[in-house]
Amino acid sequence: MLTIENINKKYVSHGSETSALVDISLRIEKGEFICLLGPSGCGKSTLLRIIAGLIQATSGGVVIEGKPVSGPGPERAVVFQDYALFPWMTVRDNVEFGLEARKLPVGERHEISTRLLKVVGLSDFAERFPHQLSGGMKQRVSIARALAVDPSLLLMDEPFGALDAQNRQLMQDELLRIWREYRKTVVFVTHSIEEAIYLSDRIVVMTARPGRVKQIITVPETRPRDMASVEMNRRQREVRAVLGEEIARAAALEEADLMAGA
Amino acid sequence: MADVSYSKTVIGEPAKAEAVVKSSPRRLPTRERWLGIATIVAFIVIWEAVYRLGLMPKWAFPSPWQVVLAFQELIASGKLLTNTAASVGRQITGVLLAALVGIPAGLALGASPTARAAFLPLCRLLYPIPGIAWIPLAILWFGVGFTSTVFVIFFSGIWSIMFNTMTGVQTLSGQYTDVANVYLASRSLYTRRILIPGSLPYIIAGMRLTYGVGWRVIVGAEMISSITGLGFLIDDARWQLRPDIMICGMITIAMIGWVSENWFFDWVEEKTLVRWGMRTT
Repeated sequence: MLTIENINKKYVSHGSETSALVDISLRIEKGEFICLLGPSGCGKSTLLRIIAGLIQATSGGVVIEGKPVSGPGPERAVVFQDYALFPWMTVRDNVEFGLEARKLPVGERHEISTRLLKVVGLSDFAERFPHQLSGGMKQRVSIARALAVDPSLLLMDEPFGALDAQNRQLMQDELLRIWREYRKTVVFVTHSIEEAIYLSDRIVVMTARPGRVKQIITVPETRPRDMASVEMNRRQREVRAVLGEEIARAAALEEADLMAGA
Repeated sequence: MADVSYSKTVIGEPAKAEAVVKSSPRRLPTRERWLGIATIVAFIVIWEAVYRLGLMPKWAFPSPWQVVLAFQELIASGKLLTNTAASVGRQITGVLLAALVGIPAGLALGASPTARAAFLPLCRLLYPIPGIAWIPLAILWFGVGFTSTVFVIFFSGIWSIMFNTMTGVQTLSGQYTDVANVYLASRSLYTRRILIPGSLPYIIAGMRLTYGVGWRVIVGAEMISSITGLGFLIDDARWQLRPDIMICGMITIAMIGWVSENWFFDWVEEKTLVRWGMRTT
């Protein structure tokens, strides 16, 4: 179980303080699929990085299974938007990176990477380099790298944002399959309403800057979900209504920034 | 954990076709190749013309053919081989030492603001001193010969590799560091698997420069502080009034420099950066 308690995040630049996150509190159950949904610049990625332990909150904190988070930990893995694969390592070496860091013997590493490459359908590409793969394949390598360290919590920062619509859909189904099979808790950042509704158990809708939790929407429909069904359509309208004014506010804020020459 | 097999639907992705990467050797088109050769031929023709027309005194200005004869003489006597070997040995030693010190120093400077604050001012102060200026001191310290020449190559060459490595580390994407942190990579794993390969484009560029600077300074160093080597061969020819031998030495330097600077480092890049898609040919 993951608890986020009263997180605030402020940035100081040129002597002035900007709030990125205000009073975020959240409880995420084991095995849950949670989407953080919000307009761009709302701090959803910042929140994910705080959960990952890559940056510190200004106040408040994250508690995982009763233990407060002070940095990255072995029970968490992150999948980044632009894959963040190492171009100088083969696909296999990329998948094994976390295991190498954990000093696992080569034989064991090999066994795990072989199994996971099969899971993500890249067995034939183990000895390739990342630049020889398509975007979707790269993201599958990144997911395999995260799964290799067997985390209980999978943090995903707009992982399919750079993919085209078709690949995106395939990857969403892949992810759900893996999630069902391995029973990970997933925190998934997105700005796509459809993606959030298709994937999550609960959607945390965030406000425009500074990010607050605006509303938490439960999506009870059973999977696989039919996006064309009446219920899913109603669900989409519901989320759109909540998010709509925040998107408008985010756009106005951005315009104001540009006018001010910021 | 269950062994989840991959669903068939996803396999037909367009990427399989994309995935074939050709490493094409960069070869100039024939026309351009011939243009380059024609210019070199023209240069030799003009050289011959200057000689024939007597525009320069004959004792100081050999013809191309005299140079070829001198080459024959130097090869037959073994002088060319021994002196080339001496120069190449010093060059390799000096450049390797510069890399051995310069790469770790550059990594440290790039990774640590404290190291930069402490050492950059001193480095910036030493950097503009031409390698040649170290020669008299080198002779005082190490005498005439191998060590003093290597010392001069080292001090001339270390800056390029050091500053380049530093820049490579500083421009490395922060995302790689994030990944290292997420997976709890140790300092040594981070250095070995991320910092060094990630900075390799800059390290190779730095080594090219270091190698080039070394090869250019070696002749000057050998003229003053050595009794072997191509620099010595050229300088010694002055006392024998043998300009043809001087030019032999110069051509040898040009050939070795050209081959090693282009072919060797291109080969290294082909095996690393090109293979990893970090540089497009």
